[in-house]
Amino acid sequence: MSLVDDLVAALGADRVKAHPLELRVYDKDAGVARGPVAAVALPESTAEVVACVKAARTWGVPIVARGAGTGLAGGAVPTEPALIVALTRMNTIHEVDLENRTAWVGPGVINLDLSAHTTPMGFHYAPDPSSQSVCTIGGNVGTNAGGPHCLAEGTTVAHILAVEMVTVDGEIVELGGPAPDPIGLDLRAVVVGSEGTMGLVTRVLVKLTPNAPDVRTLLLAYPTIEGAAETVSQTIAAGIIPAALEIMDRPMVQAVENFVHAGYPTESAAVLLAEVTGHPAAVTAEAGQIERIALQAGTTEVRSAVDAAERDLLWLGRKSAFGAVAQSAPDYYLHDTVVPRTRLVETMTRLYEIADRFEISMLNVFHAGDGNLHPLVAFDGRDEGARERVMEAAEEMVRVSLEVGGSLSGEHGIGLEKRDLMADVFSPIDLDAQARLRDAFDPDGALNPGKILPHGSRCYDFGMQPPLSQEPAL
Amino acid sequence: MTDRHLDQLIDRDRVDPSPGMRESATVVAPATIESAGATLAAASAAGATVRFWGGGTHQGYGHVTKADVVMSTERLTKVVDWQADDLTIVVEAGLPVAELEVLLEDRNQSAVLPELPGSATVGGVVAAGVSGYRRLRYGPTRDRILESVLVTGDGRVTTAGGRVVKNVTGYDIPRLVTGSLGSLGLIAQVCLKLWPMPKRAATIVVEDAAAATRVAYRPLAVLELPDRSAVFVAGSEDEIAAQTRDLGGTEQEGLAWPELPSGEWTGTMRVPPASTLEAVGRVRAAGLTFVAAHGVGEIHLAAGSSSAASFGELRSWAEAQGGSFVVTGRPADDGLFDPWGSPPPSLTLQRRVKAAFDPAGIANPGILPGGI
Ligand SMILES: Cc1cc2nc3c(=O)[nH]c(=O)nc-3n(C[C@H](O)[C@H](O)[C@H](O)COP(=O)(O)OP(=O)(O)OC[C@H]3O[C@@H](n4cnc5c(N)ncnc54)[C@H](O)[C@@H]3O)c2cc1C
Repeated sequence: MSLVDDLVAALGADRVKAHPLELRVYDKDAGVARGPVAAVALPESTAEVVACVKAARTWGVPIVARGAGTGLAGGAVPTEPALIVALTRMNTIHEVDLENRTAWVGPGVINLDLSAHTTPMGFHYAPDPSSQSVCTIGGNVGTNAGGPHCLAEGTTVAHILAVEMVTVDGEIVELGGPAPDPIGLDLRAVVVGSEGTMGLVTRVLVKLTPNAPDVRTLLLAYPTIEGAAETVSQTIAAGIIPAALEIMDRPMVQAVENFVHAGYPTESAAVLLAEVTGHPAAVTAEAGQIERIALQAGTTEVRSAVDAAERDLLWLGRKSAFGAVAQSAPDYYLHDTVVPRTRLVETMTRLYEIADRFEISMLNVFHAGDGNLHPLVAFDGRDEGARERVMEAAEEMVRVSLEVGGSLSGEHGIGLEKRDLMADVFSPIDLDAQARLRDAFDPDGALNPGKILPHGSRCYDFGMQPPLSQEPAL
Repeated sequence: MTDRHLDQLIDRDRVDPSPGMRESATVVAPATIESAGATLAAASAAGATVRFWGGGTHQGYGHVTKADVVMSTERLTKVVDWQADDLTIVVEAGLPVAELEVLLEDRNQSAVLPELPGSATVGGVVAAGVSGYRRLRYGPTRDRILESVLVTGDGRVTTAGGRVVKNVTGYDIPRLVTGSLGSLGLIAQVCLKLWPMPKRAATIVVEDAAAATRVAYRPLAVLELPDRSAVFVAGSEDEIAAQTRDLGGTEQEGLAWPELPSGEWTGTMRVPPASTLEAVGRVRAAGLTFVAAHGVGEIHLAAGSSSAASFGELRSWAEAQGGSFVVTGRPADDGLFDPWGSPPPSLTLQRRVKAAFDPAGIANPGILPGGI
């Protein structure tokens, strides 16, 4: 008997993968790292997920939950030979409750499929990662995904009312509920964003958002990137929280224009997409206010889309950004940090300075309204030393973000990629607290081991005293 | 560590009990977060139980617990860092909500905490996990806690989250401590996400709150009381005029927030939003006073001793809808009625999470559902 035998007995041979060639498909996500895979299981029900967990536990093999594998931080990449439980086949929209504006969905439902299903009913699922046509709701829960429209609506966690989860012991537990503020500790909030380290999410109760009665989208072009960043800072400072505020710089605009021909102004240094949604009586005025701020910040061109077709055209470039880069460079490395919105201008200046110094080609497209930066470095991994140079520059860029009071990741997660940078943000006491929280869910470290927290985070393991703060003199 | 050590720390920070605290209580008010850490570490070592005290407005929540020491946040009231242009603010837990909101008004900003906070403190509101009426528009308090400094039950000063509006760096402990009722330790400091407040706001009186909920566009709140219903809106002049027209109601300038109902017994029923209408029917039939938040599913109510008998039935119904009925205030001599009702299905995990932060079990022990 073996792990694979047990899995085959539970799921059938066609939904268990063990051939080395098949395993290759599951040994990485959309980031750069690869990892060792022991076997892959494709369950279709919660009961089958339970069977997978029990089998893996019996054989002492760690378990890594996986959605579409579009994660960029290595969250779904194993650090030791693991059973990959791919939840993509649990892709049923179980129940839509329009009265309560909610839906129970399987973790394998594709983000965009959910919105496509409910839009005709007048509702959509608000978090819209740029990968929404391929990533899964389960993966979004795993990473607490964001997207352009999370500025006003909040990220995934604000849209998840409850999850059904299979614990490391193979028990099924529901966290959260359909009514506000379920009693007891809010474990739902901790599971969202836990990157598969606390359990396998098998059903999700999501909130649906009514489609806005009126939308105005502006495309603003600037002679400098600072002008675009200044518009964002000033808009927020003026007390306006638009539905979306997205910046693209010249290299990105050019890459996109070559790719989709959306008519973007390729001679400008930066383009800002601003979208305002709301009551028809308010939208025009708010768009006007943003336009005035933009003019003061030096915008040279204002385009306004009023109908859906024009709007789609303005968004087409933004949404094609990654595809455009993938087409023009063999490899790319995408960052994800957040800075206070008051520090956007200065941070951008410093990022360009780093790119120049390392002589790397940097393109920017990012969720400016949240201060969520996504510098993207295009390179050719076959060039001698290119990868090393890109990684070295990457670390500097992260440090700049931290220096101005920012954080390591706004939406892609920590995973493997940023695990070892956690100690730059948190003290040993903070990391130890996070390790204890994780152990409350998974005492043996069988769920996605080696992610989020750097080795040695668990001080208390080694019989160390709880690290106390400096005790004031009596 | 000895009890003598704890006693010394207590003597250093001792203050007089404030009204509402039991006369005999030993009350300490640490002047710094580190002092709170030292005292909690000593209390854990000595097995002394601790209850936390902000403004005292939510002390009726949860199971009645016995505490050897009351730790008050009255000396932790600093505004640490207000980044007005980034819409974030870092404050210590003992800062009264009312003071915070007055400060923020200067820049037309709000932390969107409960509108009529009385003496409630920021830390107390976060610990109790309560939200104001405006949650229909701005979401619950929990979604605005960007960073937390939690002094764990055993005295570790732990920071989690960060001072930016979007963040997935590490586990979401800030949201976990929200509503933890001091069961994990002392919430000593938080960073709050702020919202800009529209310059104009109005209260539109309507006949039918449920119907108005369907018509109103992103109102701040739709509230129904025994004798009146109103939609609370904010925005531009034009928008308010248009909403008033859409709703067919009468507009009054400003936001006339109702006080929460008060009585010998108070409670909050929470049901899926669409069940609010039926909940109101049941609450009316039971003859209770109430404020019902349509679109949210939150119904605050109060009763005298005679009508409190209906609480049990209302609770069964709310739980059958997937909701809850929490008793938030009751006569001091009543220890019989469980304040929470049926505990959540995740009790085993909840217990383990509590122990991860409070291994000695001294922080408000037993206050949560299931006696955790
Ligand atoms: C071109 C491109 C654009 C992107 N744009 C965005 C963006 O705008 N915003 C954004 O936030 N992200 C973005 N991403 C990143 C990625 O799409 C998101 O992180 C997404 O949430 C991952 O979903 P997935 O289904 O691919 O999950 P995976 O990559 O398979 O898994 C992600 C993590 O979640 C865990 N997980 C997956 N399913 C479950 C489950 N059912 N239960 C428990 N844990 C689970 C995994 O273990 C892993 O740690 C982008 C990626 C690409 C390639």
